[in-house]
Amino acid sequence: MSATPLPSWAIELKNPPPYKLKSSIPDPPGYPSSQPSNSKKDKKSAPKRDPPSPEEMDTLKLKKAWEVALAPIKSLPMTAIMMYMSGNSLQIFSIMMIVMAFKNPIMGILGTNQAFERFETETNKSKVLQVKLVYVVMQFVALALGVWKVNGMGLLPTTRSDWLAWEAQREPVEFAVPGL
Amino acid sequence: MEMTEAKRKDILVLFEEKGNEETVLRRLNAVDGSVVWEFREVTKDVPLQVSTNVEKVFVVFLKGTKGAYSLKVTTLDTLTGKRLDELVIGTKANLNDEEDIMFVGANSAAPIVAWTDTEHTTLRVNVLGLKTSQEFPLVEDTVEVEIHAPHLIQSQPHFLVHSKTATGNKGEVYHIDLKTGHISKAYDLPLLPGKGAFATSSISANVYFTRITEDELILVSSQSHGVLGRWPLKKASSKVTPIHAVSEVIKKVGADGNYAVRSAALTTDDEWTLVRSGEVGWTRPEGLSGGVAAAFAEIPESEELAKSLEQEAHSNPVQAYIHRVKRHINDLQYLPTYLNNIPARLISSIAGTEVTSSAAKLSRDSFGFHKLVILATKRGMVYGLDIGKSGTAVWHKRAFQIPKGQKWDVKGIQVNESLGQVTILGANNDFVVLKTETGQVLSAKAPSSEATTQNTALVDTASGQRLLRIGRDGKIGSLPVDKAPKQTVVTRGADGELKGVIFVPDGTTSHESTSWVFSLPQDQRIVSIATRPSHDAVASIGRVLGDRTVKYKYLNPNTIVVAAVDNKACTLTVYLLDTVSGQILSSAKHNGVDPTKPVECAMAENWFVCSFFGQYTLRENSAQSLRGYQVVVSDLYESEEANDRGPLGDASTFSSLDPVDVPTGVALPSVVSQTYVMGAPVSALQVSQTRQGITSRQLLAYLPESHGIMGIPRMLLEPRRPVGRDATPAEMEEGLFKYHPAIEIDPKSVITHERDVIGIKKIITSPAIVESTSLVFAYGVDIFGTRVTPSFLFDILGKGFNKMSLVGTVLALFVGVTMLAPMVRKKQINLRWSAPM
Repeated sequence: MSATPLPSWAIELKNPPPYKLKSSIPDPPGYPSSQPSNSKKDKKSAPKRDPPSPEEMDTLKLKKAWEVALAPIKSLPMTAIMMYMSGNSLQIFSIMMIVMAFKNPIMGILGTNQAFERFETETNKSKVLQVKLVYVVMQFVALALGVWKVNGMGLLPTTRSDWLAWEAQREPVEFAVPGL
Repeated sequence: MEMTEAKRKDILVLFEEKGNEETVLRRLNAVDGSVVWEFREVTKDVPLQVSTNVEKVFVVFLKGTKGAYSLKVTTLDTLTGKRLDELVIGTKANLNDEEDIMFVGANSAAPIVAWTDTEHTTLRVNVLGLKTSQEFPLVEDTVEVEIHAPHLIQSQPHFLVHSKTATGNKGEVYHIDLKTGHISKAYDLPLLPGKGAFATSSISANVYFTRITEDELILVSSQSHGVLGRWPLKKASSKVTPIHAVSEVIKKVGADGNYAVRSAALTTDDEWTLVRSGEVGWTRPEGLSGGVAAAFAEIPESEELAKSLEQEAHSNPVQAYIHRVKRHINDLQYLPTYLNNIPARLISSIAGTEVTSSAAKLSRDSFGFHKLVILATKRGMVYGLDIGKSGTAVWHKRAFQIPKGQKWDVKGIQVNESLGQVTILGANNDFVVLKTETGQVLSAKAPSSEATTQNTALVDTASGQRLLRIGRDGKIGSLPVDKAPKQTVVTRGADGELKGVIFVPDGTTSHESTSWVFSLPQDQRIVSIATRPSHDAVASIGRVLGDRTVKYKYLNPNTIVVAAVDNKACTLTVYLLDTVSGQILSSAKHNGVDPTKPVECAMAENWFVCSFFGQYTLRENSAQSLRGYQVVVSDLYESEEANDRGPLGDASTFSSLDPVDVPTGVALPSVVSQTYVMGAPVSALQVSQTRQGITSRQLLAYLPESHGIMGIPRMLLEPRRPVGRDATPAEMEEGLFKYHPAIEIDPKSVITHERDVIGIKKIITSPAIVESTSLVFAYGVDIFGTRVTPSFLFDILGKGFNKMSLVGTVLALFVGVTMLAPMVRKKQINLRWSAPM
């Protein structure tokens, strides 16, 4: 093939010149803006980058898994503040909060495997297991917060009075009748 | 007390003064009450009556010694009160007592005095002012004689002698000749069987006698024996057997000269009946006054049902099941009537009217408000009152004829629910067993002359529960083994000491043996004893404090509270005794108590109250003295500390005779007490009872001065209320509030409402089926019954609940749904078929 260089417009038609950021003129609506430009950049870089090696993939996945594992604890301070603010009285709001405080960790623990399914590979199994354990511990921490709240509301049978109904009256051995 | 005629009507009053030594007759001016004249006589004679005729005043004395009186009649001048004459009339030693004089007439033209001999064979009549008395023979076997004479001065001097024999009664009419004072018999009214009553009434000079018998009312004139009117008594539900009557006779204006009579008669059943020309106008169970004992009884289930249930219990499960299915199939025959009744019941329930059960049949209700109260009165009557129907008397029975002046001393009343019987034991070795539903007397024994029973106790024996008679001085004697009580019986000994008696079996008999004696110190005497009620449900064995710890209640059923006063030292000592061992569990001494004022105690659950009149100077400030009716309330706990069950720990049983092996010995309760000052004296203390004991309690007390019954909430009478400071939030959570010594009589807490209830001796309470309600019945002179709800009606829809709007809403919703459903369906179908645009 004769290496006739394509005319510049043709080249530009195929590969439009990069978006001039410096341009102060805003793009009209619908004009491919940063998004396509980014994708184009990716496209540009993508071919440059080698597909990640399985090891790299593993570390990446592990990193992501850690993020998932630590997610519950990140929301804890917020929950704690809300629980503190809602008071110890029995109202619909505090009851709903308690239900959520118990439901989320328990559902989380039950769904541990599903949560980490996508990060698990043949090779990083043992490492993901650690992450899973941490995840479960974090869920338990969240659960503990719920328990703390319930205790604060006096719903935990921790005192003697809570078991009073099960205590039996002391029966006398002898009986007497008054005839007075 | 009689009246004389002047321009005004003065009153003659006979007084006994200076320790019955002087007799004073005063004529009091009826206008201003001033004394017109007085006649004074110092004799040992017993003044009996004052009487008048037109010109003279007569004072009748009994002269002589008791057992052989003669009559002395002193004649006085009406205007000046000067003695005109004095006559002594021989009675032939027939007068033994004041009671023997049957009649002293007054205000009539010729007043008479009449008496009979002890055998009731002759009647002696003396016209006052004459020296001689006349004798008349009486009917054979006469047991009682009554004399009826008019009380009007213008009436003819005729009188009627009503002689009662054991089987019948007879009337004889006598005329008095005014000039000579001679008494002659005019005519006889025939001897009629059964009981009857006579009544006198007069229209100007004419005197009429009304005779009421069990089946008719007869009117005769005193002039002749011709019957002026005769009205057969229409049979009312209860038979009228009159024993005393008063009548009013009206002669109808007109040529025919008919008479109309209305009589009020007292019947043998202590009922007060008005008979209006032969028709029973109304009947009042006047005998309900003077109750001496009462008990609640469940309305017995029908006998057949009880029998078939018993049969089921004794057969094997399969047979029992078949039997039950058969019974239920048999019950299906009542289904149509039941279904028929539903609309009426529904309507009455919505309209809020009382459901009137078909016929007057007694039946239990689902709330347990329909119960019977068996009431025994001092006149020997027994009543069955349906307290669910405002206390209507379902039945009444005369148990015994109690002689005049005495009263039936009932010592014990026990209701046997399974047999549907009630047993009433009296002090004089008498008893009566009745059916609770009908009042039918099953067996009875009349009272003997001697009171042999000191008290009774409801004991458990091998042959079931029974009332045990306790003889004088707490002696019971030996009993057959199967009738000997299993429990210790607590009685009073000869010197007022308390003792516990157990029964030791020896072959076929059990001998009594004193297990303990509790004697008070020399100067003290027991004034009140309180026991825990037999039904005393305890919902919780501890009290939860504000910090969620528990104070355990001291719940010993074998405890009594004994209050003893010391007259000299003016102290009240309250002992808490264990009735099995006789041990003093706690005692408290109150100084400055008026020993002459009544002391009352009540006990329930783990607390007791005592009320007394206190008068003392304050310890802190001797210038200030306190005086008033006080109530001391004491709580008993197992230990001072919370979360501690005392020395017995977690033991599931305890024995009063087997003290735990700790240095403190017997597990003594920890007592918390507080005193409150009442706004009024209280008596007849009782604690409300509910089925489970969950509802808070009320202390019911009779207020003798304001004639009401008050329910004091237990929350108010709380010994743990903080003194001198406001309650902490934890205490407030417990329901405690700052101590304030005075308890005012809150009109809202007076459960008798506006009614005046007089002379209440005792209050009894009983649980209903619904937990919120306690049934209350008070008796004494008056009777009063109600329901109390100390924690309000939390388990019944109130009267204010709008059933109409509830039913209306449901109906409206139903109509709305049925109307809208086809419309919605149509719309949805249209939506599906319409082309999508």
